[in-house]
Amino acid sequence: MVEKLEKLLVVKDISKSYVGVQALDRVNLSIDKGEIHCLVGENGSGKSTLIKIIAGVVKADEGEIIINGKKFESLHAIDSISEGIQVIYQDLSLFPNLSIAENISLNQMIERKKRFISWKEINDIAKREFSNINKKLDLDEKVENISIANRQLVAICRALTQDAKLIIMDEPTTAITKSEIDRLFSVILGLKKRGISTLFVSHKLSEILKISEKVTVIRDGKKVGVYSTEELDHDTLSFYMSGKKVVDSVFDYQEKERQKEPLLEVKNLSKKGNFQNINFKVRSGEIIGITGIMGSGRTELALSLFGLNRPDSGEIYIDGKLAKIKSPRDAIELGLSYLPEDRLNQGLFIKQSIGNNIIVTILQRLLNRFKLFDNNKKYEAAKEWMEELNVITPSLETVAQALSGGNQQRVVIAKWLATHPKVFILNGPTVGIDVASKSNIHNIVKGLANKGMGVIIISDEIPEIIRNCNRIIVIREGRIIKKVNTNEVTEDKLLDILAQNSN
Amino acid sequence: MVKNNRSLRIQKLLKQNELYLFLVIIVYSIFITSLNSSFLSLENLFDLSKSSAGMGIMAIGVFIVLLSGGIDISFTAIAISGQYIAANVLIASGVDNIFFAFFISCLVGVALGAINGLLISQFKIPTLITTLGTASVFHGALLTIVGTKAINSAQLPDCFKAFGAKDVLILTKPNGVNYGLSIFIIIFIVLAILTWLILKYTMLGRGIYAIGGDINAAERSGFNVAKIQFFIYCYVGFLAGIAGVLHISLIRYSNPTYLVGTELSVIAAVVLGGSRITGGSGTIIGTIMGVAMVTILNNSLILVGLSSYWHNFFVGLIIVISVSITSYQSKRSIGNIVFRR
Amino acid sequence: MLGKYSKHSKILTLFIIMISVFMVISIFLPGKFLTIRNFQSMFSQIPEFGLLAIAVMLAMLTGGIDLSIVATANLAGIVAALILTKYTFPQIGVYEELFTIILAIASALTVSLICGFLNGILVAYVGVPAILATLGTMGLFSGIAIIITKGYGIIGFPEKFLFIGSGIILLIPVPMIIFILCALVAVLILNKTTFGFSVYMLGSNPISARFSGINNESILVKTYMMSGLFAGLASIIMISRVNSIREGYGSVYLLQAILVCVLGGVDPSGGSGSIFGLIMGIITLQVLQSGFNILSFSPFFKKVIWGLILILVMVINFYSAKLSQKSIKRLKTN
Repeated sequence: MVEKLEKLLVVKDISKSYVGVQALDRVNLSIDKGEIHCLVGENGSGKSTLIKIIAGVVKADEGEIIINGKKFESLHAIDSISEGIQVIYQDLSLFPNLSIAENISLNQMIERKKRFISWKEINDIAKREFSNINKKLDLDEKVENISIANRQLVAICRALTQDAKLIIMDEPTTAITKSEIDRLFSVILGLKKRGISTLFVSHKLSEILKISEKVTVIRDGKKVGVYSTEELDHDTLSFYMSGKKVVDSVFDYQEKERQKEPLLEVKNLSKKGNFQNINFKVRSGEIIGITGIMGSGRTELALSLFGLNRPDSGEIYIDGKLAKIKSPRDAIELGLSYLPEDRLNQGLFIKQSIGNNIIVTILQRLLNRFKLFDNNKKYEAAKEWMEELNVITPSLETVAQALSGGNQQRVVIAKWLATHPKVFILNGPTVGIDVASKSNIHNIVKGLANKGMGVIIISDEIPEIIRNCNRIIVIREGRIIKKVNTNEVTEDKLLDILAQNSN
Repeated sequence: MVKNNRSLRIQKLLKQNELYLFLVIIVYSIFITSLNSSFLSLENLFDLSKSSAGMGIMAIGVFIVLLSGGIDISFTAIAISGQYIAANVLIASGVDNIFFAFFISCLVGVALGAINGLLISQFKIPTLITTLGTASVFHGALLTIVGTKAINSAQLPDCFKAFGAKDVLILTKPNGVNYGLSIFIIIFIVLAILTWLILKYTMLGRGIYAIGGDINAAERSGFNVAKIQFFIYCYVGFLAGIAGVLHISLIRYSNPTYLVGTELSVIAAVVLGGSRITGGSGTIIGTIMGVAMVTILNNSLILVGLSSYWHNFFVGLIIVISVSITSYQSKRSIGNIVFRR
Repeated sequence: MLGKYSKHSKILTLFIIMISVFMVISIFLPGKFLTIRNFQSMFSQIPEFGLLAIAVMLAMLTGGIDLSIVATANLAGIVAALILTKYTFPQIGVYEELFTIILAIASALTVSLICGFLNGILVAYVGVPAILATLGTMGLFSGIAIIITKGYGIIGFPEKFLFIGSGIILLIPVPMIIFILCALVAVLILNKTTFGFSVYMLGSNPISARFSGINNESILVKTYMMSGLFAGLASIIMISRVNSIREGYGSVYLLQAILVCVLGGVDPSGGSGSIFGLIMGIITLQVLQSGFNILSFSPFFKKVIWGLILILVMVINFYSAKLSQKSIKRLKTN
């Protein structure tokens, strides 16, 4: 009986399907009072669907949710909040134009249906919550002026003002630095002391092993198991997550003959505040992995190669020739392609047809001698690449919005392959994509390299880097701290390198 | 990180548009006074504040709309509707009472504002297109249904004239002529303070800031976004109704084609005061200073040797320059977000 | 399939609306609407605001708007009028007169291009939201026009110039011929050139456009310059048709142009809309306008109706967008 009361949240046999796709299949999860629990799975495994169901934002098809001993058959967002469940999504949902104090206190005021504001109360609440997590910040500062890590703390404090009993954090460590992660962890431990549970959603093994007491692993919408952290190590956890024994065949790079010049060579590239002294080469047929946490300079570097972030100094050589890249247009003409990390906002034109999405990069080639579009060429080009990449769609005229994530990503890849790039830079190519599409995209990329393209994959997903690249570059705080051949390194070792402190 | 902090601090300073605006007003006033010493006289300042009170009240409304990330260009049509209907009702009913006039004018204003609010909050129509359409409907309907005949000074109920002449403070010049501070300015100040109180001390007011900052986050936090938007446009209508009565009392005349077309000056004053159309930023003080600057500029055109034909040109120039400055600043910081994360 | 279907159904809906408006007006105003004279008068009015509507549409396709079109047209028209009235005297020879006319037209178009260029710079490089940028330049341009003319009208242009606005070639009014040519050029540019394609892509997602190698700034500046140019063309027809110009002329066209755009299926948030749809919108509006004229509605009452139609169209768009979102969801899950 006593034990029963200790259970804060019990999720029983939850299933959810979006017509055709079984997102969750009879998943169970239970969290004790004051427990730090990790929900682990690869991208697309169903983690986010599960937390949305717990938050009452998405309705489950089957199963029940028991919070504080109360059984809910259909849980609404309001029930979830009033039972003390607070979700901190990746975008944090803060108001950039308001002060820290107000961001923390406003939700509580709304919940209490207050009509008038007492600024003293706002400040008191904020001060109290902040002192609880041992952190000092100028509470009058606007949120738009503070770092992402501090915004996260603001979001946590805001959750605490609403009598949170369970705080769910969705991938909270993707955008913050190592020391900031440590601070976040100490905050989470502080919450535990106050009897507040945390559900930590992540796919990063080292963090999971460090912070959690219990781990629930899900894969392809099914629960693999629940383990206490002591019985886990890197290898077992990664096995549970991926369902594969050791790392499967590493990408096999055979240097055909000694190439005179690398396809791409970066020499001493620097941009203040972004990255410093970057040197590396990409040869034909190679897949280079660039890894580092968000904010390490990996994306900034890629943008600089693509003409969107002008470097202060250093040179870029393509085919041995010094390249002047001032705009994406220049980069494309020199044979570079870039798949951006944010598919919906930077890669796709969701309101436009698939055909238009594919041909946008090769317009010049589709003109007739009057410099006007040749409709046949337009159609043929779009069709060729749609078939080449197996984009599943009723027609080329379908709007991109109507496609699944994997198909959308293949459309973006098609757009770039149509330019016949020499070097293809892919930033987070499989973020938010289901497992099947993921390996399909990996195979496409490997195939391209085998045909002689130079590829750069930027990712913070270590397994992805290890399985698909022949060389790995680790970046931290804008500097290359390690260059290593994949066959000389294991996932653990790479994680260690990533986790080392800079001093 | 240290460097970052410093640049933040500089940015913070740069964003104090109000300070700059204040300095510009001072310098310009001194310049005008050097051309015509009567400019900085108390009498002239009293006069200016009286004639700009109506514009200032409408500017407060526009300020709130911009704060929430929208725009309104129908408020002048609402103001003239309130004014003209109120005057006609007073004449027809024979009730010669300024409070009744305010009541009618504000009633009309809130009703018309509610139409804007309904369209914007329920049908999510872009605010520009909504108010462009309703401005046309409101003004067209006023002229079609109520009439096109101007109400001249002789027909005008006395309460307007009395109200227009009411001073709260009367001073005497050395030559024995009296001049005074109009009650208009008191009304303006009261409304400015009321609005400031709403924005600062009510949940509704914070909701307006929240919507302007991030409308999705506002929805997720539990703000009733539709209700807040509805309130905003009703409030603009209410302010326009008051401005309408002030206008008729000032010029002792009502022509239903007046006021419409002056929305540009009001918007110019508000953006000059530092409000951004992207929402979430701006202050009442800035808005008041913007109104002051536009008023002084208008008043001084002839003094500096330019005819009143230059009015539109300067209003346009003010909008272009002030939005350029604020947009350029925010474009740079957005650029940082895209590339820095 | 879906994209194609929705595009076609939009055009079909427009067509049905246009035809039914036409029939209703014909039936209720027998013997007045279906007359050659009435059609000729409709034909002479369409080009002016048709060209202005194209100008607004171009800006809308990029996700912006151009509120300065009428002010641009006024300013360009006033510059042309000044040249026409200053340099034409009865004793001037035929060639000189022709030269003056060409100079006037060229100047008007240049002025309108400069106006558009300024808008483009503000929107593309300074980053001003199009609403405020063009609202400001609207004041600026009309301000310059007032300063130049001191608010007075300019009247009386050379006979040959008036041919542009009121001449008839093969039973078709000259303005109509100009409009048809301009509309064809616009269709060609939007559908058959890389520039036009880029306009649509930029309008649907400016960030993806930049990442795809489109030079957003250059496209935006060119688009607003084109908007200006179309306003300039409208001004030439306008001043030549009424043989005069004064600041503020045609201010009702701004609302009508925006109305015709949304009626013709142009998405105010950018990325979609066609000249074909726009023209159906123009015809619908003109038929209504003509009906109202026959019924001798007051201009004020017409203002009410235009405003109401604008809002009604937006409300209908709101519901149809909801429906199409639903069908996309259905398609996605299948």
